[in-house]
Amino acid sequence: MIQNEGLERIQKMLREQGYITEPSIVMSVFLAMELRKPLLIEGPAGVGKTEIAKVMATALQTILIRLQCYEGLDATHALYEWNYQQQLLHLKMAEDTGRTLEEKERDIFSEKFLLKRPLLQAITHHKAPVLLIDEIDRADEEFESFLLEVLSDWQISIPEIGTIRATHIPQVIVTSNRVRELSEALRRRCLYLWIEYPDFEKELNIVRNKVPGIDQRLAEQVCHFMQEVRKMRLEKVPGIAETLDWAMALSALHISYLDKELVESTLGIILKDWQDIRQAQDSLSELFEKVGAISKLDDF
Amino acid sequence: MELIQRQTSLSANIVAFCRFLRQKGYTIGPQEEADALQALEVLAPFESPESLQLCLKATLARTLPQQMLFDELYRQYWRELEKAVNSKVKEGAAEKKQAGKQPTPKVQSIKNWLQGNQSRETEEMATYSTHEVIGRKDFSAFGSDGLWEVARLIHRIARSLALRQSRRRKRTNRPLQLDLRRTLRLNMRRGGEILDLAYYEPARNKQQIVLLCDVSKSMDLYSRFLIQFVYAFQNAYRRIETFVFSTSLYRVTSQLRQRDFGIALNGLADAVPGWSGGTKIGASFQEFCRSHGGKLLNKRTIVIIMSDGWDTGNAEELSESMRFIRSKAAKVIWLNPLAGSAGFEPTTLGLQAAMPFIDVFASAHNAESLRDLYRHLR
Repeated sequence: MIQNEGLERIQKMLREQGYITEPSIVMSVFLAMELRKPLLIEGPAGVGKTEIAKVMATALQTILIRLQCYEGLDATHALYEWNYQQQLLHLKMAEDTGRTLEEKERDIFSEKFLLKRPLLQAITHHKAPVLLIDEIDRADEEFESFLLEVLSDWQISIPEIGTIRATHIPQVIVTSNRVRELSEALRRRCLYLWIEYPDFEKELNIVRNKVPGIDQRLAEQVCHFMQEVRKMRLEKVPGIAETLDWAMALSALHISYLDKELVESTLGIILKDWQDIRQAQDSLSELFEKVGAISKLDDF
Repeated sequence: MELIQRQTSLSANIVAFCRFLRQKGYTIGPQEEADALQALEVLAPFESPESLQLCLKATLARTLPQQMLFDELYRQYWRELEKAVNSKVKEGAAEKKQAGKQPTPKVQSIKNWLQGNQSRETEEMATYSTHEVIGRKDFSAFGSDGLWEVARLIHRIARSLALRQSRRRKRTNRPLQLDLRRTLRLNMRRGGEILDLAYYEPARNKQQIVLLCDVSKSMDLYSRFLIQFVYAFQNAYRRIETFVFSTSLYRVTSQLRQRDFGIALNGLADAVPGWSGGTKIGASFQEFCRSHGGKLLNKRTIVIIMSDGWDTGNAEELSESMRFIRSKAAKVIWLNPLAGSAGFEPTTLGLQAAMPFIDVFASAHNAESLRDLYRHLR
């Protein structure tokens, strides 16, 4: 349905990297690259948000620089830090060389002693990299505003050295799991993409692509089962990674169809919370009826 | 009439569409418009209408609800535009005769529609966002679905409470920020030879929360929600102490600190014999002050009381204990589920007695009010 040269190129690029995609993702990635804008990707855990950045980096033949956000992340971990230990050692060794204070100062505040953290790395890299700012919603609001500043100016000032300007503007991907609302300002700076859990067709496609040796019927059953499991009210809804793990495990066991016992004994692969497992076990027959009914229809 | 004129050039149409979206509550400024136009430029030449829609969606919708709503609005816009143009053509002859008159009602209604019908629009937005729907729903009419959403909301509140950083610093062994002062001090005894490095990290604000929850008969309608609230709060935030009271006071912190809600409920039922009984707020609070006040109340403590203030006990006792709590704690928040109903006035005897010692008096009848609570906790 998409008939545009640029879009086709992106789609091909994603497909070649083994990323099964849909038109909205292709469009967003294309526009983010063309307009040189950050792309904010939201969606539940395990739908392949981070994967997009990895695939983009490979496709663009550049490096991926990743800034994993966490509670209490601050500028020293995102930007730069001086290597204090090395500075001290250097001073110590330069003690008897008779160098002047100015010279020593210039020495220890040179790039040699600068620890580059992801953001600084990204703007000083010789080729525009893909900068992945992962799970921004985990960091606090202060960090978000700080990030805004970097994303708009593309320069970082270090008091001892001066201002460092970006040699290339990196392609930025920001992901969020919606643990907390992001600020309006950040949203407006980025293009927005929402990725939902894949529907049956897409998931089946992914499974076939990533687990080549899998039995056709098993793949369908696994995907149907996952679709049903996601409708349950779980603490941790399984993502695509879980589906793939499960499919791989079952395929390695040379199994060609699902049965109740098998599911019960391998439930730990897709559900990672004991309450979820218990809940799934309780409604296993019900789940199975749905999955079974669908695959019976397929046999006709 | 300008609005319903068919825009011949694509870009003019896009600008009109942006205006339409803006009226529907989208945050679209010149920046977004420029993005959309630029995006169209890089996409040209256009061959499929789908890619136009996708392109505008990617550039103009910047939140999840906006994305969900977009396709429908997009279709509406072009449909109505088509209609408006057609009607203009048909009525063209008639209009010439009545030149100078008011626009016909039909055209007027389309115009209204294009400019965004305020009342309908808010309704539409609400149905697309689960938060909004729950936001206005009274908790007394709540199913388990709603409770699930509320638990999520509380989880968010608790997280940001726990995350709050203080301006103070704390020493740490992890190599974070170099603490120069302590580093120098530490190495003084070595004659200024710097060997050991000291670091600091920002300290966390540790706000203690005390929940006092009314479970007497008059609160029955809300107790299902209240328990869920308290349970969710306690699971998400560690520094919290929970008490329930009807005719006397019970500490239920440990019962609620259970992974499983069912077990927590059973534990609660065993520990609190006076469930849905009468109310003696004053006596219960006095007991709280006597046996827990000294330990739990300090200037970092926020006391949250959830009660309707229907008191069969002594009002004197209540105001006395409230005075004590107010003088010791950082903040006293009184949440009243009835305060959300229209025409509510805090006239109950108990509330009258407590009123002078309350910092924040708020309703707690729906999720909207919970979001307000979040603001008070900051």
